[in-house]
Order: sequence, then C-alpha cells, then structure tokens
Amino acid sequence: MNPYKIYEDLSLIAKRAQKTRIVFFVLFIFLVLYFWKIQVLDHKKYWQKSENNRIREVIIPPQRGLIKSRNNKILARNIGSYKVSIIRENCENYEDSLQKIAVLLDLEIEELRERIDKYRSLPQFRPIIIKDNLTLQEVSRIEARRLEMPELLLQSEPKREYPYGTFASHVLGYLQEISPTELQTEVYRQRRPGDLVGKTGIEKQYEDRLLGTEGKILEVVNSLGRVVGRGSEVKPIPGKTVCLTLDVELQQIAEEILEGREGAVVVMDPESGGILAWASYPNFDPNKFINRFTPEEWIDLRDNPDFPLQDRVIRGLYPPGSVFKLTMGLAALQSQTITERTAFVCNGVVQIYRQPRHCWYEPGHGRMTLVSAIKNSCNIFFYQTGFLMEIDTIAHYGKMLGLGVKTGVDLPGESEGIVPTREWKKTARDEPWYPGDTISVAIGQGPMIVTPLQVALHTSVIANRGRMVIPYLVDNRGDGTGDLAENLSPSLNNDVQIEKVYFEKVIQGTWLAVNDGGTAAAAYVPGFDVCGKTGSTQTIGREEAERRAEQNIEVKKTHSWFTGFAPKENPRVVVTILIEYGGGGGETAAPLSKKLFERFREIYVR
Amino acid sequence: MLDRTQIGNIDWVLIGLLVLNSAIGVAFIYSSSQHLAGDFYIRQMFWIMVSLIALFVFLSIDYNSLVTYSFSFYLICLVILVGILFFGVFISGAKSWIRMPFFQIQPSEICKITVILLLAQVFSSFKKTYLTWSKAVFSGTIIGLPIILVGLQPDLGTALSYVPIFLGALILAGLNKKIVIIFLILAVLLGIAGWSFFFKDYQKDRLTTLVFPGKDPLGAGYQIMQSKIAVGSGGFLGKGYMKGSQSQLRFLPARHTDFIFSVIGEEFGFVGVVFVILCYFLLILRLFQSVFKARDRTGVYIVFTVAMMLTCQFLINVLMTIGLFPIVGIPLPLLSYGGSSLLTNYLAVSLVVNVRMRRFVNV
Repeated sequence: MNPYKIYEDLSLIAKRAQKTRIVFFVLFIFLVLYFWKIQVLDHKKYWQKSENNRIREVIIPPQRGLIKSRNNKILARNIGSYKVSIIRENCENYEDSLQKIAVLLDLEIEELRERIDKYRSLPQFRPIIIKDNLTLQEVSRIEARRLEMPELLLQSEPKREYPYGTFASHVLGYLQEISPTELQTEVYRQRRPGDLVGKTGIEKQYEDRLLGTEGKILEVVNSLGRVVGRGSEVKPIPGKTVCLTLDVELQQIAEEILEGREGAVVVMDPESGGILAWASYPNFDPNKFINRFTPEEWIDLRDNPDFPLQDRVIRGLYPPGSVFKLTMGLAALQSQTITERTAFVCNGVVQIYRQPRHCWYEPGHGRMTLVSAIKNSCNIFFYQTGFLMEIDTIAHYGKMLGLGVKTGVDLPGESEGIVPTREWKKTARDEPWYPGDTISVAIGQGPMIVTPLQVALHTSVIANRGRMVIPYLVDNRGDGTGDLAENLSPSLNNDVQIEKVYFEKVIQGTWLAVNDGGTAAAAYVPGFDVCGKTGSTQTIGREEAERRAEQNIEVKKTHSWFTGFAPKENPRVVVTILIEYGGGGGETAAPLSKKLFERFREIYVR
Repeated sequence: MLDRTQIGNIDWVLIGLLVLNSAIGVAFIYSSSQHLAGDFYIRQMFWIMVSLIALFVFLSIDYNSLVTYSFSFYLICLVILVGILFFGVFISGAKSWIRMPFFQIQPSEICKITVILLLAQVFSSFKKTYLTWSKAVFSGTIIGLPIILVGLQPDLGTALSYVPIFLGALILAGLNKKIVIIFLILAVLLGIAGWSFFFKDYQKDRLTTLVFPGKDPLGAGYQIMQSKIAVGSGGFLGKGYMKGSQSQLRFLPARHTDFIFSVIGEEFGFVGVVFVILCYFLLILRLFQSVFKARDRTGVYIVFTVAMMLTCQFLINVLMTIGLFPIVGIPLPLLSYGGSSLLTNYLAVSLVVNVRMRRFVNV
C-alpha cells in the first residue's frame, strides 16, 4: 500500500497557505520598518509633542496637625472650607473676566485686581486664590458657571479652627497668608504664595510638624486648558498632632483670673519645666481673622492700644519689683556679703548717698534679718544690702537664676529683658553706672525689666533649690497624659552655683510671707505650704507721682506681681501672676494665685 | 481518546510561545493600569490560568468530533447573540456582555471558535480548484449572521475580527476573481448602507479621522494622535518601564486594552516593539507551520483560519496604534486585557495543537 494514499492530497491548499504566509512575512517586515520610521527617524517630532501635552499640578493641601492639651482636648483642628482661584491663562478676556468675577463673588474690582497683581509674577497657568472661606451660595454660584468660566478653579481646603475661640490664644497663635518677604526665606522655601502659615505661637514654632506633606494630582490639560485626564495622584500626608503640656482646667482658671485686667499668668511644673497654664490678657479670637484677605479684625487688634496680640508672658517687660528681693537675698548670701544672721534696722526711711530711701511700710519694720525681710518685703534691708554690693555681682546671680535672659521656651518672639550691668549702661545709655542705680536695682526697680515667664522660671529654680530647667509647652513624649515629672525637659548642666542652704533661707522667707501673715498671706492655701513673694512695681518715680497728685492727674497704680510655688518641700507647681497697674502685689496678685494653687492641688496632689 | 503518541505530539513550543506572549501582556497591563481601580493584571493572570486549563481540556477531544457537532455549537452561539441584543449588559457603548456572578463574558468572542469549526466542516469535502458560487454564498451566510448580530450590538471591532476567518477559508478554497470583485462591490454597498443607516457618529468620525487625523486633534483624532505621539516619543530605547508619560499620564485611552501596544512602544521604544513583534511573529510562524502538519483538509482549514484570525487581529491592532488603520476596537490578541478574548485565542490555538497532535492516521 502506497503510504501517501492514506492521506488526502492537500498540496494545492498547502501552496495557498504558503503564499499567504509569505505575504504576512512581508507585512511584518514593513511593520518593523514603519516603527523604525516613527520611533527612530521621527522621534524628535513626537518627543516634542509628548512634552507639549501640558501637565498641570493641582496641589492638595494636607490637613494641618491638631493641637491638643495635656488632657487631650483638641485646641486647634480643621474644618472643610472652599476657596476659589483664577487661572489667568484660561481667561478669554482678562478685563471681562475680572468684571464677571467681581460681580459673581461680590468683590470690589479694584480689590480683586490688587489681589491678583500681588502675584502677577507667577506663571499664567498657576492659580491665584481670589477668595476663601466661601459660603455655600458662593460655591454653588461658581459651580453653576464652571463651563462658561474655565478661569475659575474651585477647590476645597481644610481650614483651621480653634473650637474654644480665645482660649489659650497666645499659646496657640494664629495663621495668616505667607508674606512675600517670608517666601524669600529659607524656612519657607517649599511654601507657595497664598499658603497660610503660623504667624505666632505654637502654630509658628511647630509649623514643620503641623504642616504635613501636600498631595498632588497631575492633571492633563489640552491646548485649551481643558482637563482631559488625571495623571498620578499623590495623597497628602496630614500634619502631626502637637500635644501641649497645658492643663485645660488650670488654663481656664488663669484666663478667668485675668478677665477684664491686663496681665499675664504662668503656671508651670518646676521639676520638668512643663507649662500648665499660660495666659495673657487681653486676648483674641484667632478664628476671626484666618483668611487671606481684609484681615480687618486683625488690623483692629494690631492697632488696639491694649495690644491684645502681644503675648505678655514672653513679650511683656516689667520691672520685677520686690520679687527681685529673692535674687538679692541669694546673691548676697552666696557672695558672702551678708549671712543669715546679718540684721538691719528699718525705721521706714534711710539716707543713702544723701538721698532719702523709703520703705513701703512707713512706721518701719524694726530689726530685720534676711528671712524676715523677705517675709515683710522690707525695702530698707535690701537697700542696705545693695549698698554693700556690686551691680555686676547682682546681675551675675540674676542671670544665673534666669532673669534678663531668654528662657528658651518653645514659642517664638521671646523678649530678653534687661538685668543691668555697668557694661550694659555704657553701651545702651552711654553713661557710667552710678552707685545710686544699684540701690534702685536692689528692690527690683531701676533700669531692670523682665518677662513674667522669666520670673516663673526663676521661681522654679528657687523651688528646685538651684536646678535649672527649660520651660516648654509641647510634650515631646507623645500624648501628654504622662505624669508631670516624667516629662523632663532636656536637663541642663549649668545648674545654679548657689548653696542649697541659702535657697532654704530664702524659701523660708517666702513661706513665712504666705503662711505667717507676711506680704503674700493672701495666697495661703491650708495644708499646701505655699511659698510666695509679691511685688508692686512703680511705673513712675515718686517725684513724678507727687507732682501728678498735686495737679490732680490720675496716678496709675503700680504693677502687681505674685510669684510662688507649693508645696515647700518637693515643689510641684509654680504660679506667677502679673497684673498691669493692679496695685499692690499682696492685695491684687497674691489672692488670685490662691485659686490656681487650690485647683492644682485638687487635680494633681492626692 | 488520548493515546500516548498524541500526548507526545503536543506542540509544547506553540503553547510556550502562547504563554510567553500573554505573559508580556500581563507586564504591560500592570504598567498601564496601575492608576486604575481593580487589579487588572491579577485578573488577567487568572484568565491565563483558566484559558490554559481550557486549552488542555479541549485537546482531549478529537477535532473531527468537534467539527461534527459544529453546526449545533454555531446555532447555540447565534441564539445567544440574538438573546444578548435584548438582555445583554452595556459596557462602553455596546451590548456585548453577559454578566456572570464574578465577571462578564463576551459571547461574540467565543462564537469565533464555532465559526472556525463550521467553516472547516463546510470546506472539508470541497475539492474543486476554485471557489464556487454556492460555497461562497453558503459560507458567506455562515460568517455574515454573527457579523451582523455583533455589528448590531454595536461592536464594530469584534464584528470586523470575523472577516479574517472568512478570508482565510476563501484563500484556501481558491479565490475566484469574479467572486472577489462581486464581494468587494457588495462590501462597498454594505459599507455605504451602513454609513448612512447604521453607523453611529463616532464610528464615522473614526473613519474620517483616519484620513485626516489632524482635523480635530481634541476630538476623534485625539486617540490616534496620542497613540502615535506615545509610540514616536518612545524613541529607540523607550522611556523605561512604567515611565511612559503618555501612558502613565493617561493621554492614551484604553491603555490596557486596545492601546497596549502604544504603551510598549512608549516605554520600551523600538527595541521593545521589535522584541514583541518578534515574539508574536514566532507564534504566528509556528501556527502557519502547523498547516503543513495537518493530516486532512479539515485540519488545514482549522489551522489556517486560526492563523489568519490571530495574525490579522495583531496586524490591525498594531496598525491602529500607529494610525494606519481606523480605530475599531480590536484588542491585541493575547496581550490586551480581556478574559473572553484571551480564552477564545487560547481555544483557537488549542485547536491547532489538536490538529497537529493528531496528524498521524490511526489505521
């Protein structure tokens, strides 16, 4: 049998299949050649075209980090809000667009033009924000004209909100649009025009941490600027939460105390340096001026003669007055100028350098040692001590205790203050130091000014018997729920070079001042061993005051100080209060501190 | 059913090439769909597994038995295609899908297999030198019915992809000049009728923009322009995997389906294009080679029409991405994302392997 016979004769169709295969072979070669043409020969042309497919970056602002209190209360958060921008390259006719937008958004056309001109140097395709905090009506009006007005870009953005309004406003700070000068600086290199940045307080200090990382959507736009597709999307990363050491209840009390007065209150943990309350009054409601435009509220506040925007805790500078007697006592003991047994007699007045110097207690205190002089805040004792001392020695110990130097607290804009030295007077006033100046300084007057925070810090150092801390507001250990003592600030090596026993003497004086009918008796809290010192600092000289009194001009009262800590042994809390023109420290400031000591004791001591 | 000789004759090279090409597809589906919702590449890998199993299951049945029942299969398919016009699911403008619990299938793809089998049966006993009228009309009807039904969905691309199968049968049967001319005239008439009565505006646009792609660069010509830009800007070496700006930035429409070749062209340049074309060409070469291994006329018809189907689809798709063919929505077989199309192509290749492994008559 012929083996071929079992198969059909397929040679004809096989030949046709073969021909087809050859045709395809040729087609494939042609195909490869064509690809060679467009990919290699014409590559430049197409490359150019692919580059011309415009990609527009749309920035998604990140959620700003929350600010929480020690008790986990949210003090600053974000709410949804809308803003509208103009993309100039999409305007068919720029002037017409301005007209239409002005009507649509109820803006003055000049205001609008000014707004846009501020950012005229930006590329044409970059959106310029023209209005934010849009109302729902405005949003829907813009949305309805989306197609006819491609130059408008409506975007949502998280808006900062401070749920408790004025609460801790000086600590939190506020946001405002980044200024052109700020944009030039290295710190804000990554920021864009129209961004809101922290201008003061925690918002400024922890800007980096709160900010987060912005997201991006790459939008593909055709030659008409119409969005034809979306490219890659990078999700924004929300900013980190910042936990404050502030105790909401103590802060609340501190603010209530100040209500209606001008002044500052600081409550801090002397052990760690953590701030428990930080109040400055008058204060402000930052919610009212977080927008990019017409910050009228803000301008009003800025120009207000009471300076509500000023954080008196670190920017208010006041003579320490009698509070400085603590420093004097320590300096005198440590420099061996006096001993604890050294005594001076107070008759109510003393002649020094041929000038009468008065005690606040005209009948005179009689025989005073350091402890009783602190208890009674006797001026004569400290005049006499000052008479024996060098100004530079006094200044040396003052600065050692934290007066006249920046505390290093984590808030921006801290003032340094002045604790005068010979050197200082020479450079600042071009005058030599007169011995009489030292006598004024001895009771905290003269050319000496400090901030309430410095006073609080120096009180902490005394309470710590010489251990220096750095005050801080942000708990870097996370949630802020830890024990006070656990939140230790970076420990300082430059502890104060004063013997512990001297601290004990001075502390004894302050304890007596509160607990034994001294000048700070109004701060007495049963069973809490409060130690404190008051101060009433003259804002004008005695002669000036007498002159004014003769002419029937109102004499402004003295600034009223109280600073103290409790309990005496193992102190837990420091309270410092300053009331501007509050009158005597014992009458005004000391009683106010009582509430804070009491509440602290209720919350933390048990 | 299966004996050891047949198993020994399974064309592993062909199956290997098949899997290679679909694996290349997965890589580019991954690159081009990374910004889309849904894990397209994972689903595609799943479909490859399913199709591969189907391929082997299919091998166990002698192709002659399949051919015997082909008319019944064909009828079932027609019924489904009619039913789908009433009950199908609309996806991207065409009613061509049946929704299943976890996926959709496109019967118009699977139906091609039955057409291949039925045509093979029709021509299995045809031994004349040239095509006759009766055969031409008969086979024309067989292919025409599904084309019309699919065209009504309307899925012009899939409808068009039936044509190469028919063309393959005609080539083997012997193209009679007269018949070719008549068919051409018919096609033109049908085209004109379709243009005036049936084509949607977008389909017309696609044809006009083929001739004048620059006419409306933001409208219908957009896809052709963008695809050409993608391929051209890829250059010799390409922009790098997942780095094609055209593809990744979504200038390209249907990147993971119909325009996957543009992604390849952009990201791997001329080198990548030649590599993929070569891989595909080897597959096609192997398919054509199998024509000469077939033991009977039925086998030859099956293998040749399958080869025609895959080759023409590949060419049309590639020509489409460089603007040499109107955009008709034909996926790149094996490489584009799409389960039904993948399954169909695997089954078609399965038929070829089937024919090849049973090339020896069991006397």
